[in-house]
Amino acid sequence: MDRRDFLKGTAMTAATLAASRLAYGQDKAAGTPPAAAPGGQGVQWDKAPCRFCGTGCHVQVGVQNGKVVAIAGDQQAPVNKGLLCVKGYHVGLALYGSDRLTTPLLKKGDKHVPISWEEAIDIVARRVLKDPKGFGIYGSGQWTIPEGYAASKFVKGGLGSNQLDANARLCMASAVTGFLATYGVDEPAGCYDDLDACDVLIMWGNNPAEMHPVLFSRVIDRRSRGEKVTLIDIGTRKTRTSGFCDHSLRFKPNTDLAIACGIAHLLVENGTYDKAFVEANCAFRAPSEPATLEGKAITFEEYRELLKPYTPEKVEEISGVPAKDLRMLADLFGRRDVRITSLWCMGMNQHTRGTAINNLVHGLHLLSGHFGKPGDAPTSLTGQPSACGTVREVGTLAHALPGGRVVAKAEHRAQMEEIWNVPKGRLHDKPGYHTLEMWKRFSTPTEQGGDIHTIWVQVTNPAQTLPNTHKLVDPSRKLADKFLIVSDVYPSATARIADLILPSAMWVEKNGMTGNSERRTQQWFKMVRPPGQARDDAWQLIAVAHRLLALGFEGMKDKDGRFLFEVKGKDGKPVPLWDFAHYYDVNVDEHLFEEYRKTTRIKHKDLAPYPEYVKARGLRWPVVQQPDGGWRETRFRFAGFDDPYVKKGRDIQFYHSTTHDDRAQIWFSPYEPPPESPDTEFPFWLCTGRVIEHWHSGTMTMRIPQLQRAMPQAYVEMNRADARRLGVGNGDQVTVETRRGKLDLPVWIGGRGEPPEGSLFVPFFDERLLINGLTLDEHDPFSKQPDYKKCAARVRRRELVAEKQG
Amino acid sequence: MPISSLVLTLDASPELRASALREVARDPRITLGPPLEERWLPVVTETGSLPEGEALAESLRDVPGVSFVDVVMVDFSEEER
Repeated sequence: MDRRDFLKGTAMTAATLAASRLAYGQDKAAGTPPAAAPGGQGVQWDKAPCRFCGTGCHVQVGVQNGKVVAIAGDQQAPVNKGLLCVKGYHVGLALYGSDRLTTPLLKKGDKHVPISWEEAIDIVARRVLKDPKGFGIYGSGQWTIPEGYAASKFVKGGLGSNQLDANARLCMASAVTGFLATYGVDEPAGCYDDLDACDVLIMWGNNPAEMHPVLFSRVIDRRSRGEKVTLIDIGTRKTRTSGFCDHSLRFKPNTDLAIACGIAHLLVENGTYDKAFVEANCAFRAPSEPATLEGKAITFEEYRELLKPYTPEKVEEISGVPAKDLRMLADLFGRRDVRITSLWCMGMNQHTRGTAINNLVHGLHLLSGHFGKPGDAPTSLTGQPSACGTVREVGTLAHALPGGRVVAKAEHRAQMEEIWNVPKGRLHDKPGYHTLEMWKRFSTPTEQGGDIHTIWVQVTNPAQTLPNTHKLVDPSRKLADKFLIVSDVYPSATARIADLILPSAMWVEKNGMTGNSERRTQQWFKMVRPPGQARDDAWQLIAVAHRLLALGFEGMKDKDGRFLFEVKGKDGKPVPLWDFAHYYDVNVDEHLFEEYRKTTRIKHKDLAPYPEYVKARGLRWPVVQQPDGGWRETRFRFAGFDDPYVKKGRDIQFYHSTTHDDRAQIWFSPYEPPPESPDTEFPFWLCTGRVIEHWHSGTMTMRIPQLQRAMPQAYVEMNRADARRLGVGNGDQVTVETRRGKLDLPVWIGGRGEPPEGSLFVPFFDERLLINGLTLDEHDPFSKQPDYKKCAARVRRRELVAEKQG
Repeated sequence: MPISSLVLTLDASPELRASALREVARDPRITLGPPLEERWLPVVTETGSLPEGEALAESLRDVPGVSFVDVVMVDFSEEER
């Protein structure tokens, strides 16, 4: 058999196994993934979660001669059952763009010039010493769990400050506050298994056909096998998802709160809510004055009164959704014989009322008892591979500490001081700046209160992804005493404006662990060497910590005088991790993870020992040790039949209840108009988002030729009627303008989506067409998450703009 | 010669399925596996370049009687990077 025949044979076996899983489902399809068979024709295979989104698909990575040469869907992975989306099967090529950063670069004049790692690490350390309180780290939901944990320990345990926040603030912070306000603890109770069991799937401002295609195909495949699943799309524009749906409801931006209140009103007035479930497990809550995340307790009768204005007719008037459709939704929620799963992602989270709409959707499931059974679940999806695992669980946010702790609680600080073995009082009690505030202060002159002098960015691209970048990013580049450090793999929009660029290793060029949207913690090993002098992000943090130690900074010592990141080798002696030549003498990830694991019990997010994750395609926490010594994951939290922390004999127990009585909170929150709406000057709504081919800011996917060719540049999607009125057709250039900036874009009409009249959609993946110069930096009052989904805009034909400008 | 594994989900209608099978089988770049439950068809494609492979997968989506195309594996070990 020659190499070609071997490859074809392997490929056919892989396809047949995948077909078998599609035909018979996960459980009945047997077999070992052919791609995992070692050694065939010199290709070595190993598992890794995909580098891109929060779904957490596993791939098999084929390596030959030190390079990734093939990618296969992992047949053993419960998340994707051997299948991948268009990004996933090209993920290997993300390593091999022609312009990988391979050496540290320092800005001198107008140029970035190569410098040594020694000099680069020294520069970073001396920026810390300038004023440790003004040194911020801006990290990422693409940090691995050990990287995020190292950053948290560096800033909170080492610098004794809390100037650490992460880009997940921009994508799921409102989901977090929604979970906290409702259940008292973060992250979904359900999991992807709900997609296999639900009778009704409601997508709230969500487009999984493009953004989470592998999850969406699980549901579509059920239909192909003859199962009946009703799909309902509730959104502000028609998307690829809409085309698959039985009901597709369009609402006016921001009015989703009125829709949720309207459904609750009907459930209460019709008496179709689940009285027994509510009486046993729930309490009622409304906004307080002053506003707090806890709100104030109200009675059921008060709740009923607050909902009374939200009649179907009134909600139709506010939202544009017909009263009959609201009744249809209420009727579905009122049925006990169907199972309903709600999905949402950025549509509900990137919202100035993000916490409120998250609370309301959880409330609908609680009020109707559609909770705690497979297929009955309110489930938020995340956009990044470890927004959950790293940012939410490790707690790389300005107010947080690992394991669900917060800096404001003395007890929590003391626990972390104990785990980190640092002196009492090392951890600061005042939260640092959330993302928007951190960047605002970085872009404000020091003498005017801009007390952040340096930001170190890792694994993210804020110059492209922050909102209103002309306000939050650009001014800093003109301030002489502000210093921007960027660790990245490619010269991203942020790297290009940085003062110091540090080349990073990515994905299978290093060990890693991530946590996906369904509480699944995943692990992989380094498979190939990074190019040139690119190095692990965690190593960079540890090397700077050690340089600070060498420069006499006491914070990088524990209370016994040892280096904060000390790891001992088999000989019992400390390994010089700060010297990259020795970084892989031990498994640093395992050491960091095992230390982090100690923090996870207080919120019942128990993790198994590292070797368990080496064996598995991820495990969903809480992972609890069994009498036989094995480790068991949990699929459905708070449900007596599956969650080991629910008291025996109880069907449901919300054991982190904010009211300490095992009850979840059903919230009332009123509809309110958004901070900026279309007017005569700016008559359109502008919504931004993603496309299937590109992942977030396109730093990786725009360097994969196949994906770049498939979607080469950004565009503005317009309704046909608006385009006709404007006199433009497909490909014509228009200028989109808001009160914050303007941008020239080609028009796309009748593409994969269609906004309603008076609305525009622009994707944000294209670094040449930065739409976030136009977006709004208004944010939710609790989560501090900005709203990228609605602001007022106008659009004009390009030649008319040119004429006007003379 | 990039090689990819795909699964074609075929239509519920036997006539459309038969028509899809006939059309797909005509393409010399495609090797068919045995259909499962008559509806899930494993195939392997072998093309001159990755772009050609993508175009082929995309064209399969448009074949009458093919409901979905799932890509299972792509081997690009011999592709110029």
